[in-house]
Amino acid sequence: MWDFVKKVTYGARVLLARRGEKQIVTVGGHPTQVLRGGQGAPLVYLHSALGETVWLPFHDAWAAQFDVIAPAHPGFADSQGLEDIGSMDDLVFHYAELFDTLGLDDFALGGVSLGGWIAVEYAVRYPDRVRRLWLADAAGLWLDAYPYFDLFRYAQDVRRLREALFHDPDSAVASMIVKDVQNSSDETLIAVYRALTALARLVWERPYSPHLPRRLSRIRCPTLIVWGASDRLIAPAYAEEYHRLIPNSTLKILEHCGHLPMFECEREFVRLVADFCRSEQTA
Amino acid sequence: MTQYYFFHLMSWPYLPEDFAQRYDSAWIWCPNSLYDPEKGHELYREYLTTLAQAEELGFDGVCVNEHHQNAYGLMPSPNLMAAALTQRTQRMRIAVIGNALPLYHPPLRVAEEYAMLDVMSGGRLVAGMVVGGGPEYFSYQVDPTRCRERFREALDLIVRAWTEPGPFTWNGKHYFYRYVNPWPRPLQKPHPPIWIPGVGSIETIEFVARRRFAYMGIPYFHIESFRRVYRQFREACERAGYTPQPEQLGWGIPIYVAENDAKARKEFEPHLWYFVRNLLKGIVTTPPGYTSEKSIVPILRGRGHFLSEKKTWAEIEEGVYALVGSPATVRDMLNHYRKELGVGIVMTGCQAGSLPHDLARKSMALFAREVLPYVRDAATDGSTARASGTSPISAR
Repeated sequence: MWDFVKKVTYGARVLLARRGEKQIVTVGGHPTQVLRGGQGAPLVYLHSALGETVWLPFHDAWAAQFDVIAPAHPGFADSQGLEDIGSMDDLVFHYAELFDTLGLDDFALGGVSLGGWIAVEYAVRYPDRVRRLWLADAAGLWLDAYPYFDLFRYAQDVRRLREALFHDPDSAVASMIVKDVQNSSDETLIAVYRALTALARLVWERPYSPHLPRRLSRIRCPTLIVWGASDRLIAPAYAEEYHRLIPNSTLKILEHCGHLPMFECEREFVRLVADFCRSEQTA
Repeated sequence: MTQYYFFHLMSWPYLPEDFAQRYDSAWIWCPNSLYDPEKGHELYREYLTTLAQAEELGFDGVCVNEHHQNAYGLMPSPNLMAAALTQRTQRMRIAVIGNALPLYHPPLRVAEEYAMLDVMSGGRLVAGMVVGGGPEYFSYQVDPTRCRERFREALDLIVRAWTEPGPFTWNGKHYFYRYVNPWPRPLQKPHPPIWIPGVGSIETIEFVARRRFAYMGIPYFHIESFRRVYRQFREACERAGYTPQPEQLGWGIPIYVAENDAKARKEFEPHLWYFVRNLLKGIVTTPPGYTSEKSIVPILRGRGHFLSEKKTWAEIEEGVYALVGSPATVRDMLNHYRKELGVGIVMTGCQAGSLPHDLARKSMALFAREVLPYVRDAATDGSTARASGTSPISAR
């Protein structure tokens, strides 16, 4: 019952989150979905492989202070062009072109999980164009002692997925985000399959970048690393590794939080990122 | 003239009794500590002997196939088995169905090994080309989202390597080779027959029809699926402007023959369930991008017409997942279905999982003696005429 109330409450907050609008921008000849809302300095949010590509309460909270720009990666939502994406390089060029098109030159950039990895890969290639970089529970590195949870193997195993993604796998938010096949519509099943396909295109053969560790020293802007203490998909050991390799980085571990802080620890996560992106300090 | 190929998986028959309760799959991550190389040695010898006997018994050929990291089929390299068979047989065809092209880097390896087999066998190779099952993409960590594209490009490359004098340059989306020039070249001209096994996707059916290859329906599906598949294949051929030859349509169907119906079921059924409950467990593993968005929903909801979901003998009979019975029973069923489906090739195996070698050979022999002469074709029934596709060297 309490779970039900929580889900209804979240649903109501999604309906009330109205600062964002959907635009379609052409990138590399392909329609690309961009959600945008709010006023202030630009803050780009790159989503995880979960595909949070509708305007949600955490976007809306940032939009009170920032011009929030949330594109959908090729293959997700209404963004086409996955056929031209074969590697992280292709994806970074895609974003370079999108940011050019949107006139973004000096902006705050960050993301969660896959999105955090893309943000980092952009920052090592265009360090002068990023004013603030933040990443949460990001992929991209590999430590033999801490293999990632195998999302592809357990794609249909609801219990294991919830345990990997959430501090509390029995919470309302866990059951709201990870649904079993019986409780999913055909549209949802197809959307999840498309999301996994777009992810597999990047990470199936090697789920990280072997070049990234030696490139991270190129990042010049202040960097915030946020990680759920209970992230069982990409262990907090990776937060420390990013912190070690990125100069001028700050590490914040969120207690009672798993892989998806924008859902499980929304308020604290939103505040951390907002405070960091607003601050005037420079490297 | 319907041709009969003896189909073999080379399954691992020694899984523990409680395997299905303890393990979630016979594939990919099924621990290989369950494999015993000493038993494996004996098993390969017996399986090869069974396959070689198919020639003496009058089968037109044998089929071997490729699977990785699993207990279902112990031929990660079917080409090695085919090579052994080239030296143990003289006349029948050897069909490798097939090599999973996207798993080979470079795919020219397939052009080379198939050419070797064709030359070694005196032109008896049937060259099967497959995308490979979902589990193989986990086992080899090859990008499943590109598997169809890579398959088609590799297939084009192989056919060109066999038919165009080398060296030439291949510049494709996935493969670039400055010097394509395989030695040896195949013996059959213009190249060995190409079979494409399929599980019923319309994309594959149309591709095979358009290219005038042979479509081989993989067993373990409901008879209704096969009716649809061959109807769609014939329609696709007509759209491409021709009527398919019977040998362009192949049907995979397990067959077990014994002295009478009751005995056949009694001898065969436990081994079929070993196969269904243990070896098919985990076979329907669909990595992302491997299949179309249209196909994924029924797969995820387990609504497929696949043998792995069947629980009772009545379901086996209703869906015609296997033909099991006395010679007369099997003869009647086979004549009915091969004509209804309009297939010119039947790939039959009785080697379901844990079937002992002696029972497998008894069934094969009964089939060859009391069924085979009556299920080839109206015009030639009663004779044991050899397959129409005799090879260039053995026909001399």
